[in-house]
Amino acid sequence: MKKILAILAIVLFAGTAMAQEELDFERQQAIDSLALEKVRDLSKYIKIVGSKETAWSEANRVIDRAEELFMTNAEIGVSSIASNNIKYYKVRPYFEHLMRLNYDRVEIEWYNIEYVSDLQRQPDGTYVGIITIFQTFRGYDKEGQLAYKDTTKKDITVYVKRKETQIGGRIIGFWDVLLGDMRVKETTNK
Amino acid sequence: MKHKITTVILVLLAAFITLGGTTSCKSKKRLAKEAAEAEYKSKVADAVKDLTAILDDETAWTLEEKEHRVQTVKDWNLQNAEVDDLLFQVEKKLARERAQAEKQEQERIEAEQRAQAEQPKINLENSFDRIARAASVTQANNLINETLGLFATNNVPVLIIISQAAGFNDYDRPTTIENYLNYLKDQKVSRNKVFNLKFNDNGKITEVELIKK
Repeated sequence: MKKILAILAIVLFAGTAMAQEELDFERQQAIDSLALEKVRDLSKYIKIVGSKETAWSEANRVIDRAEELFMTNAEIGVSSIASNNIKYYKVRPYFEHLMRLNYDRVEIEWYNIEYVSDLQRQPDGTYVGIITIFQTFRGYDKEGQLAYKDTTKKDITVYVKRKETQIGGRIIGFWDVLLGDMRVKETTNK
Repeated sequence: MKHKITTVILVLLAAFITLGGTTSCKSKKRLAKEAAEAEYKSKVADAVKDLTAILDDETAWTLEEKEHRVQTVKDWNLQNAEVDDLLFQVEKKLARERAQAEKQEQERIEAEQRAQAEQPKINLENSFDRIARAASVTQANNLINETLGLFATNNVPVLIIISQAAGFNDYDRPTTIENYLNYLKDQKVSRNKVFNLKFNDNGKITEVELIKK
């Protein structure tokens, strides 16, 4: 009888604890949107750094901001229709590579940004999901002619964790969204 | 004989003067009484007319003018049942109007205070929009420098509320005002509105709380 009661107590406690950690629909939706927003922010940063019109100082400032979006040691995959190899860069080297691309003008567009795997709560309390994006890259030569074009499908792992910080003498609870690896799934010349 | 006639004339004259004077005094009193009655009636008529007009909202007087008129009528102290009844009703009506006017004035003052408190938020949101819509990086940078002048330091914390439930806020990762203004420049869109601002004694902003539009 005591055993049954103990098991019942454990089950009830676990159930209560889980219910407390469960996010309601609105909060879940807010976090989903926040993660998508970070990916869209990244797309703008890539566009700014990729643009040959961006001043070096501005590009570096933007790279700093972009680095803050990622987890430490996160990698970004770079592919080409000319090769089957996918090269993976750490975040800053990726952006520096982007700045150095040998085109006179570069256009980078991200679209169809959406979850392929919804944010799921992990045992450590981190929510992990995967967002897929399509990137169209166009490089133009000095004559303004399209020299290279590809479309890449990439999967970005997203980590969302609740953290706390102290601001103005009070504790602020916030959702920290960090991007993980950005893996190339598919590259076409479309 | 002549002396007798003179005496009779004098007696008659004295009697005439005495009688005539008495009649004249009585007439003056009557006239005064009549005048007083006429004035009273006129005041009652005026009071009834004005009080009825006030009661039926048929005057163009302001509330203060109506209150002044009522006070005048009360000062007349007419002691007329009709006037007293009208006064009772009009005073009740004006008390309601006064309470309503005071309530409206209070609401107006509060609205003005709210608008005054909202103004810095509106100004800041306008700055956010202008930075996001800037035609060039140079223009955006100028606007950023201009906007930073509103803040105690460039590192003033910016908290962004992503959801609210039961008085509980969920925030995005805190940033600084300088980074946030640059973020607006980079993203070219202002997605948040100002929820709350904190100021120091010099009127400079020391904390910004934003919320998703």
